[in-house]
Amino acid sequence: MTRTALFSNRRTVIANTVLLLAMLTVVLASLAMGTLHIPPDQVVHALLGQGDPLTRMVVHDLRLQRSIAGLASGAALAVAGCVMQSLARNRLATPGIIGIDNAATAFAVASVVGTGIALAPSTMALVGAATATALAFGLAGANGTRGYRFIIAGLGIGAIAGAITQLMLSQVAIDDANAAYPWTVGSLNSRDRTSILILSAGLLTGYLCLQALARSLNALQFSDPVAVALGIRLRTLRVIGLSLSVLLTGCAVAVCGPVGLIALIAPELARTVCRPGRMPITASALAGATLMLAADTIGRTLFSPLEVPVGVITAILGSPYLLWILLRPANRSMR
Amino acid sequence: MRLPAILPPSMLAGLLLTMISGLSLADERTVDTAFGKVTIEGQPQRIVTLYEGALDTALAVGAHAVGAVITRGGTDVADYIKPRAGDIAIVGTPGETNLEAVIAARPDLILAAPRTSREQFELLSHIAPVVASDIPLFQPDTWKRETRLYAEALGRAGEAEDIIRRVETRAAEVAAVVEQAVQDNERDAILARWMPQGPMIMSTGIFSASLLKAAGFDIRGQSLVDEGRPHSQTLSLENLSAMNQNWIFLATLNEDGRKALDAAKASPAFARLEAVETDQVIPVDGQLWTSASGPLAALAILDEIEDAVRSRP
Amino acid sequence: MAASLLVALIFMSLLLGAGPVSITDSMLALVRQGSDEARFIIMELRVPRTLIAMTTGVALGLAGALLQSMTRNPLAEPGLLGVSAGSGFAVAVAILLGATNATLTTLVAQIGALVGCAVVIAATRVHGLGNDPVRLVLAGATLSGLLLALTSMMMLVDQRAADEIRFWIIGSVAGKTLGDLTSTLPSIILAIGIVAVVARPLAAMALGEKSAVGLGHHPGRVRFLVVLAVALLVGAATALAGPLIFVGLVVPFIARALAGPDIRRTLWYCLAVGPCVMLAADILSRLLVVPAELPLGVLTALIGAPVLLLIVRAGRMPSL
Repeated sequence: MTRTALFSNRRTVIANTVLLLAMLTVVLASLAMGTLHIPPDQVVHALLGQGDPLTRMVVHDLRLQRSIAGLASGAALAVAGCVMQSLARNRLATPGIIGIDNAATAFAVASVVGTGIALAPSTMALVGAATATALAFGLAGANGTRGYRFIIAGLGIGAIAGAITQLMLSQVAIDDANAAYPWTVGSLNSRDRTSILILSAGLLTGYLCLQALARSLNALQFSDPVAVALGIRLRTLRVIGLSLSVLLTGCAVAVCGPVGLIALIAPELARTVCRPGRMPITASALAGATLMLAADTIGRTLFSPLEVPVGVITAILGSPYLLWILLRPANRSMR
Repeated sequence: MRLPAILPPSMLAGLLLTMISGLSLADERTVDTAFGKVTIEGQPQRIVTLYEGALDTALAVGAHAVGAVITRGGTDVADYIKPRAGDIAIVGTPGETNLEAVIAARPDLILAAPRTSREQFELLSHIAPVVASDIPLFQPDTWKRETRLYAEALGRAGEAEDIIRRVETRAAEVAAVVEQAVQDNERDAILARWMPQGPMIMSTGIFSASLLKAAGFDIRGQSLVDEGRPHSQTLSLENLSAMNQNWIFLATLNEDGRKALDAAKASPAFARLEAVETDQVIPVDGQLWTSASGPLAALAILDEIEDAVRSRP
Repeated sequence: MAASLLVALIFMSLLLGAGPVSITDSMLALVRQGSDEARFIIMELRVPRTLIAMTTGVALGLAGALLQSMTRNPLAEPGLLGVSAGSGFAVAVAILLGATNATLTTLVAQIGALVGCAVVIAATRVHGLGNDPVRLVLAGATLSGLLLALTSMMMLVDQRAADEIRFWIIGSVAGKTLGDLTSTLPSIILAIGIVAVVARPLAAMALGEKSAVGLGHHPGRVRFLVVLAVALLVGAATALAGPLIFVGLVVPFIARALAGPDIRRTLWYCLAVGPCVMLAADILSRLLVVPAELPLGVLTALIGAPVLLLIVRAGRMPSL
């Protein structure tokens, strides 16, 4: 191993450590902050299972569960985004932009407002995500995930899914529409435990699979002939990678709704800080988890006791950054 | 002892009351709720309400509500109840409860909405006993049954009967006024909310419609509201003639009902309705008429009905 | 052919609707016969609505064709690029501040559209970006997303205005009067005047900027005029019907297919195709869920998105 390789490996390790520390800081902030003022020492006591039951409930059942939901969904979205960007060799190709989020939402809303389809919102979100990807893939034609057609096809699918969601919401009684509202903006408020468990399991599986595939995925940065020469079975790899990112996105949307831009910004951040030429899966996961939880904590405390949904916060904070990426004059290519 | 300085007077009064009633009877009740039977002791002193009808009932029977959700489309509790609710803590919106805010209010009883989810119920149950109504919505007697249920939980069943009787007496009074002022065949009315694209017709099952009926009005429009949409439905402007009744009660969420009425009149389709020509379009407060329920709301609505009929040209 | 289709659609728009008027009654009403009710529904509701839908279609169609020609990007569309969103956001702010006057809304919407346009143009001027349709569209989508998030934030703070904004933001041409139309007409006529002036230089610029300069045109001046016209058109359309997406994409797409590559012919065709598309969407919105109506914005998205896919599906991006 050459000195530079060693150095850049060290760079990745350092970057991951820094991201981990940032994530822990945000977790602490999220546990300590809220409508109810709880001093830090009592938070620690409650975490260790001591103190009065009500404080324990706030810390465990409300804040900790919400933090876990935020961390897991942020990480899942970011990893899904990272994989999809690599597959498409385009860093704009993320689940949110190609309409997977919207389709998952449309399906989940369909189950909430009761269109006679008796499946849990989580399952429906997954089905929606898979449908949208399949459609985008099919419509992009021979080019597959490569090139702009995939993105624009996804954009159109997202628009249709969004319109259908609007349509369903305008057709149901106001109370049902209220029940479906969190699905349309992206929120982490009291999501059910089963979805979070499914997401955690999905995240773990996806992460391990991707780590196992890391070598092949890294080869994607080269042109197709080079990758093939390196012994990569491109077609299989693409199908597996795409399936994994659909799985992750579907599970995450089932928990947090369509929270935009995490899938784009977190991998972007990870690529900036990590060793170039590698797919930064771990760093993306850490960055995604951190960003999601930070945005949620801001939304929770901004207008307390009323909440701003986390999706609104990520859109307001993330959009300017995305615009900057898009409009920056010297646009470096995605790798 | 500095107790009086620390405790708010109302709480002190409640405390005394509890002590007295606690002496006379060992009060323990079981209440049937949406999530099974709930046992409650004595008269709870710090109540959090997650439903507008529950807040109304709690205040009507003289209980001390310390937390409530905002009214639909508002930023605080509904205006009609604001003076009685006083400086009440806001613990969320009708759709989303902020559990930490509920805990911060330190309730000893939580009155929850009919549509509370089991997940939410279980979390709330850790804080205090939870009474979620399982009474079918949009029936004419829904509010009375809800009032009895919540009052039973509050240990104030007697007060509930008193206030329900008061509402019934008042309804009879207003009905007498209506009978005298409005001819028998001119009492057809419709309840709607004005939207720029067309009016939103309220179902005859909603709370204020049942009061209009009690006051002697003949509420129309159920045929315009789809099956499965028990609350309301938006109507195309082209079908506006379907709401051509003698009386139109026009609800608005803006502070100024007159302004909403003027906006509606700017639409030619609306301006040609007979009720507009005879000046029998009554602008009413949407928070009260299309969102609230409970005995206090009933009394307030009956007052507005009486005013409308009396001030008729 | 387009003209006869347009006439047919106008008749359908006048004859079909959610109201309790049979088609024969409607025809009688058109010649000032028939029941009072039918006459009212036709003359006071469907005629203004039809005229407004047609005006909006023309405005958005022309705006789309101009933007596409100037940026040489077949996906450049006021809705996709965030121009409509800018205009919608400006109106939402105005509603929040308590504005109700129709004229004021038009002006505010046009100023919002101008700012949105300026952002888009700034984006195309960035080196290398003008040739990348996707990135431009994504920038527009991001801008729209940002403005939408800001709007929902404002609606959280002031829930009373929220009701009005929420219904306005979906887009609809129902419940508008001829008064609303006349208050936007001057700016639309002004914009069409500008279009008449810039059509020739724009066609020349399509052949390359050097040859346009050679012919005595000033590309900078032309661009400024185009932006002005687009802002006036989109602002007026948004004030009339709310922020509608995809109309500016579908109309020039069809017009180009009929007219061929010449921008002047395309613009002419837009005058007929725009009203057709909007009328078709509006008629569907009235008929699908009688006695209520669907939001128009939902229908334009459902009609427009497949066209977007069609453009993408085409072997290569049609060059402009």
